[in-house]
Amino acid sequence: MATATTPDPAPDAGAASPALLDVRDLYVEFRTRDGVARAVNGVSYRVDAGETLAVLGESGSGKSVTAQALMGILDSPPGFVTGGEIRFRGQDLLQAAPEERRRIRGARMAMIFQDALSALNPVLSVGTQLGEMYEVHQGMKRKDARAKAVELMERVRIPAARSRVGDYPHQFSGGMRQRIMIAMALALEPDLIIADEPTTALDVTVQAQVMDLLADLQREYDMGLILITHDLGVVADVADRIAVMYAGRIVEHAPVHDLYRAPAHPYTRGLLDSIPRLDQKGQELYAIKGLPPSLTAIPPGCPFHPRCPRARDRCAVDRPPQYDVAPGRTSACHFWEETLRDEEPPHDR
Amino acid sequence: MTAEAILEVRDLVKHYPLTQGIVLKRQVGAVKAVDGVSFDLRKGETLGIVGESGCGKSTVAKMLVGLERPTAGAIRYRGEDITKLSGRALKAVRRNIQMVFQDPYTSLNPRMTVGDIIGEPYDIHPEVAPKGSRRQKVQELLDVVGLNPEYVNRYPHQFSGGQRQRIGIARGLALRPEIIVADEPVSALDVSVQAQVVNLLERLQSEFDLSYVFIAHDLSVVRHISDRVAVMYLGRIVETGTEDEIYGHPTHPYTQALLSAVPVPDPEAREHRVGAPPGGSRGRILLAGDVPSPADPPSGCRFRTRCWKAREVCAEVVPPLAVPEWFAGAAGPAHPSACHFAEERHVVPSE
Repeated sequence: MATATTPDPAPDAGAASPALLDVRDLYVEFRTRDGVARAVNGVSYRVDAGETLAVLGESGSGKSVTAQALMGILDSPPGFVTGGEIRFRGQDLLQAAPEERRRIRGARMAMIFQDALSALNPVLSVGTQLGEMYEVHQGMKRKDARAKAVELMERVRIPAARSRVGDYPHQFSGGMRQRIMIAMALALEPDLIIADEPTTALDVTVQAQVMDLLADLQREYDMGLILITHDLGVVADVADRIAVMYAGRIVEHAPVHDLYRAPAHPYTRGLLDSIPRLDQKGQELYAIKGLPPSLTAIPPGCPFHPRCPRARDRCAVDRPPQYDVAPGRTSACHFWEETLRDEEPPHDR
Repeated sequence: MTAEAILEVRDLVKHYPLTQGIVLKRQVGAVKAVDGVSFDLRKGETLGIVGESGCGKSTVAKMLVGLERPTAGAIRYRGEDITKLSGRALKAVRRNIQMVFQDPYTSLNPRMTVGDIIGEPYDIHPEVAPKGSRRQKVQELLDVVGLNPEYVNRYPHQFSGGQRQRIGIARGLALRPEIIVADEPVSALDVSVQAQVVNLLERLQSEFDLSYVFIAHDLSVVRHISDRVAVMYLGRIVETGTEDEIYGHPTHPYTQALLSAVPVPDPEAREHRVGAPPGGSRGRILLAGDVPSPADPPSGCRFRTRCWKAREVCAEVVPPLAVPEWFAGAAGPAHPSACHFAEERHVVPSE
């Protein structure tokens, strides 16, 4: 972190404005003593400026690993990107030199982590940590960087920013720490923010404050936002589009309203049916049977077939491609049409 | 469901002393984790306790099962105050009140087999299962919670999170208790597994005629499983009532804010969220600031520092947890609410 570089104005690589971020057929694996864990198996998605893509999945679905690969912060070894492209404004980041990637990371794309207490350095004041962004990336003097840090803290609505800029992370509450994480991500006005479970560790009233702040800032700066979460409620609240992941694959990709109205993949249907609702006093909850697969032994064919109420013989051998359900909407289920119509499955659930 | 109360909690208080000095420790204050909590648990019902972190709900749970001694107050089990008991009498009572913990990863001893974990309660209460019959009892329990009885000799790390929580539940059931106190039993689980465990808890309740105290921060899960609900804030219950009274007719501003903050899994709700107050954002009641420190709670009503209705009286007079007189006789809102200015507001979209 020694060299101070001024950011390139990044000439828009011409031609019919490429997507802000375009991930194509990404593969990531972890080589461990117990075998190769295939965490990401051919993931493709794109995000445009001002748009929110939610990546929804349970633990082990590969949603966070995908994000780490995008940012170039994958633990390697044991993690390796083994295929695919990550195009940021047309430029393939996987082919870029480490120096170039470092310039992009933080300045053009930034990440917000789940656990702000462990993501922030406990022995440096928040002002120092925020100011460091400007010192390292823009070669700013310490005093000016400090002033910018105060400005950032005000922008994420931290009360009494001027007097708190010298405080340490442990002196802030969970919600305030998450605001500092957001401030840090925003510091260099990136084009894309990746937020990995940004509110999971927060209480519900604080979660609402933080999500609101994030949504407002995104609108203000016209940023692209990738929101990684397991919470179907948060997704419904802020996302434009959703990619649902299971066992390292996107199983359904759809505009948010369409997905909630009529899911086109049995896994999505199962998730929606299995959550208790605040607005309903339900009877027995629908429960998806079984457990998510181990990434070292992903079932052949459709990885969801051992748990799927619609599974047929074909599903155990024939891996479903991404079927086009509608423009901008895909499903990786051979039987997406009957799923979409919510017909009774061929045999008992 | 107007069965007898098998557990009566009255004015329960837990203060943790704050000390200064190393040799001569002086008490300089107290963290008032729980500060006057009263409720009844009736036979066969589920009482949900909700609140944000630091509100004291887990401390209440620990006192119910005897893991913490209350500073003051009474917990009466079948009329007998268990906070006054000790020795053999306390042991006998504890058998009937068991706990299921939040984190299935840290609440099971990694060096013990599943059989030993579930069978351990029998070491303390051998009268329930004589030595020879234990293995069979443990296998029956595994079967009851939906695990393969042949797994008795496996270790916790060989199970997934959901399966481990089933092991924790089997251990809670081992002594055939009447009451189970479950502290965030599903919050560490994935969505698709959470439903399995919630259904299991409901099935066991009717099978064994259990009463549950179900503690959680997830308001949707609490609504699903509870008959009655108590909302806690900073060591006190601010509102209590049946599931429909709390979710359908909340009258305390904190309950209203809490409910309105929950994201509903329906994108249509984004546009027309109900009950939007002035100044709220996207139809939410957004509370300002954070929960004050329980070492120095605000005078009067503890919620007043974040409340948009607060007036002078709120700083001076502690609002009692009682049915506000202006609601007397009204079907929905007539339930105990600790607010000087309680008024009904619909914040949860109706079905």
